[in-house]
Amino acid sequence: MRNADWDRENKSSVSSESEAAFDRLLAQSIPAPPEDIIAGITPWKKAMNRALTGIALNCVTLHFLYLQYLLPAIGALLCLLGFRALRRENRWFRSCYALSLLQTVSLLFRLILNTTIYQQAFYASTAGTALSLGAFILNFILFFCLWKGLIAVKEKAGLPPRARGAGSLILWYLFVFLLALVSYNGLIIGLLLIAAYIFILRSLFRLSKELDEAGYGIQSAPSRLSDWSLSLLLSLFLLAGGACGYLFFDSYPMEWSPAAEAESPDLQKIEEHLISLGFPEEILADLTAEDLAACEGALRVVTDVHEYPFNEGRIVQEYREGDPELQLEAGYYQTTVYDVRELTITGIAVELPGEREQWKIFHHFLWTVNPGFCGTESIQLWPAYHLDEGWANGGQLSGQLLYDKDGVTFTSSYHYLGSQTYTSQSIFWGPQTSTDIFASFSLPNDGERQRGYISYLTEEAADGYIIDSWCNYTHQQTWFQYPVQTAIDRRMAGAFNQNGAFLTVQDALQFYPTEEEINLY
Amino acid sequence: MDNRKEQIQEIIRRIVSRDERGIEMLLTHYGPLMRYIIAPILSNPADQEECLSEIVTRIWYKIGLFDASRGSWNAWLTALTRNAALNYRRKEQALLKNRHPQEIPEDMASAAPTPEEKMLQAEQEEALNRALQKLSPREWTLFYRKYYYLQSTVQIAAELGMTERAVEGRLYRLKKKLQKLLGGEWHA
Repeated sequence: MRNADWDRENKSSVSSESEAAFDRLLAQSIPAPPEDIIAGITPWKKAMNRALTGIALNCVTLHFLYLQYLLPAIGALLCLLGFRALRRENRWFRSCYALSLLQTVSLLFRLILNTTIYQQAFYASTAGTALSLGAFILNFILFFCLWKGLIAVKEKAGLPPRARGAGSLILWYLFVFLLALVSYNGLIIGLLLIAAYIFILRSLFRLSKELDEAGYGIQSAPSRLSDWSLSLLLSLFLLAGGACGYLFFDSYPMEWSPAAEAESPDLQKIEEHLISLGFPEEILADLTAEDLAACEGALRVVTDVHEYPFNEGRIVQEYREGDPELQLEAGYYQTTVYDVRELTITGIAVELPGEREQWKIFHHFLWTVNPGFCGTESIQLWPAYHLDEGWANGGQLSGQLLYDKDGVTFTSSYHYLGSQTYTSQSIFWGPQTSTDIFASFSLPNDGERQRGYISYLTEEAADGYIIDSWCNYTHQQTWFQYPVQTAIDRRMAGAFNQNGAFLTVQDALQFYPTEEEINLY
Repeated sequence: MDNRKEQIQEIIRRIVSRDERGIEMLLTHYGPLMRYIIAPILSNPADQEECLSEIVTRIWYKIGLFDASRGSWNAWLTALTRNAALNYRRKEQALLKNRHPQEIPEDMASAAPTPEEKMLQAEQEEALNRALQKLSPREWTLFYRKYYYLQSTVQIAAELGMTERAVEGRLYRLKKKLQKLLGGEWHA
């Protein structure tokens, strides 16, 4: 045992001696470094280049391929890493480090917030405006501290205390701030921004040159955490935060409770009467007692049912004979066949007694197949009085949501049900301000027969107009969208694009009521 | 870039014509670079300043040796500063040895090399050069920082944004790689 220990010690001593001798030989025999190594071995270049690249990335906003999020995120990280290495040099660089840390935290917060449904509401709030303004001011102070820090480094090296590059960067930022302040969006803005960006790149290049001589005097600060580890840690935090956002804040908090079953004889009578008029029995069971009671004395019932697919269907190729009347040539034709149509929307109108003709309209939806992902849903209603032609608002906007689980029916009110005034962009007419009825809600993933309805009353204002009531149902098909938008926000943006996270179907109840008959369109 | 060239030419012209403002300019613009190279080799600040004075004197007298066609001003200045700092250290260690003959520093330079030793060293340099060609740019930087600039692990870690442990690990792997690349050509 002793011999073995001695052997090990002896070997280790021989090995460390030989290592030291190898080190000495390397140091003695090393050839003169090539030019690129000489230029690259500096205490400041890496740190300063990172900080400057970070600033350049922070100052550009490219709205494609998620670059509006990726570039600032990379920029903030580079600024943080760059100024972290320079933080011991002087108090101005220390301030730059603190500011870049604040910027990173603020950016992480915003990036994570974007994975929740609350992001749009937050940015529209005072806190959101303050955060955006704060980020702008932080950048401004950062540039100022950078300018002062560079001057301090040059003073320390005995060089003229000038840092024109940083100074011009401050001026450029002031210019951009002024443009933002006056909301300048003239035709010349594109050219101005390009010129401004060239200006910033030139300023940054000059900033880097300013340290060419004095930079060797900079003391890099050691860190317990390597740049790579810090980057990894921040990325993991962002991923974890984002995952929490998508998992826990991707749908509305709904208050589901088992449906009350108590039914009075009066309501039962109304139910029987409505069924006799043709009101679908299944849908009748979904109405609240108040809505049911409002249908007392119903005169007529109009029902219109449509089924909508929320799948891609299958392509079928079939041979068709020619049809001269339809100018159809014989040949193979491709059609999309939907074996399953997941959503059923039923439009029901109940005529109520009164001095003036009045109808209670119901728009009922039912998921016959589980819709899969359930994030946020919305219903946009264009009621019969929407165009102010022939029909007037009779009030009584109501509705509820339902689903079944293990034989029990659960109900909830909508997360939001009411009128919203909003401005959307139309490719034909530009910005359009409208007021519509909206319902926003989330459905449970684990239920069956998720369903609900919206109802309102409309009164005749003038003779000769059809009842034309529209229901735009927007369903969120996938969790992945960045930033997260709610179905209602999507509709308010006026988007009908079916390739994104949302799919909207339009259903209309259109009929012309006369005293003799109902003409359904 | 042109400004920089003009500035170097101005410094050289002034030193060649024995104008002391040339030295002032040299210290203003290249003092930080020279100090950066000296600092890891000589730890004592007083030695650093004395060494810098020696280098400046050497430049004053040997400015004629600078040949722009053989390399940049920075490369020449770097080599000159490094060699001067190493000589300064050897001299200091030799003095220390004379005062305390029993203490022999490990990396103490030996007496002037014999012709055989010179030839062996040239062979070693060539072999090392060949091995260095097989390293990645990152490994080159690390290698030169450690063995040419003689920077400490702490300094390398701080300037490269790594932990000391990571630097040590990389240097260890780099040394093993070099040992393998040098193979039987080079024995310690």
